[in-house]
Amino acid sequence: MITRVVEGWVEEPLKRFVDDARVVLALMLHPSGQVMAQHGFARAMDVMSACALAAAIHASASELGRQLDGKPFSGIHQAGKDRQLFLAEAETAQGSYIFVTVFDAESSLGLVRLYFEELRAGLASAAPALEESSEPILAEHFESELNRNLAALFGRA
Amino acid sequence: MTGPRTPTPFGSLLDTLTRQRGVKAGMVVSESDGIIIDSNMQIGVHGDRVAALAASLYRKARMSATAAGLGTATFFQLEAERGRLCAAGRNDLVVVVVTEAQANVGLIRMELLRAAEGFA
Repeated sequence: MITRVVEGWVEEPLKRFVDDARVVLALMLHPSGQVMAQHGFARAMDVMSACALAAAIHASASELGRQLDGKPFSGIHQAGKDRQLFLAEAETAQGSYIFVTVFDAESSLGLVRLYFEELRAGLASAAPALEESSEPILAEHFESELNRNLAALFGRA
Repeated sequence: MTGPRTPTPFGSLLDTLTRQRGVKAGMVVSESDGIIIDSNMQIGVHGDRVAALAASLYRKARMSATAAGLGTATFFQLEAERGRLCAAGRNDLVVVVVTEAQANVGLIRMELLRAAEGFA
């Protein structure tokens, strides 16, 4: 399986996470739903759907955490019969990112949580400082930005 | 983790194990999740990290034994420069012990196997 990233600084920490935690799928995205990196997905459409769902789950869970606990939940784990999902946030100099991973019996929640902490630290130290001229992602640019990122990951728009 | 420990059925088992000379940590871990169910640790032991990795090692050792046609593995011991890591398990529960190099492994092994029998 190939790990693909939109920005180079994400690649090394993400590859290390995938190798160490032995996960099946990994996805890193901006809270808006813009994909930043992926591992294990074969189709751009699947990445697009997963990003939209992950962003929605993250937004709902954050709000639920705020309502129940006064602060957003720090991570979500859902166990299926054969596969499990872990979703959490990583803070970097470039801003917050959502990280989603799917794993099977080759890994475990304990390992995923352990290596996610290392990934979080790796991303925080690898991220370049945010340039002052960086433009926010606007709704009218969302689709073209998404297509550009998907093209970077899959080699086509 | 702060606050008082939530009582579990494994409290007395862990107290017995960690009373042994040279034992630095004892924990009951879910084999499939690698998450601590109960533990008794000295300061400085990275419990969550040890639990996740030890459960994974134990599971792979058990699967290797089965694949090699050796039957069910119950006890696992890893020797390192400054100590040992021992584990025994049954029914998705693994009891993991971290010891200093000079700890009495025979006694610890007996206690671990007795503990694993209790998981039946």
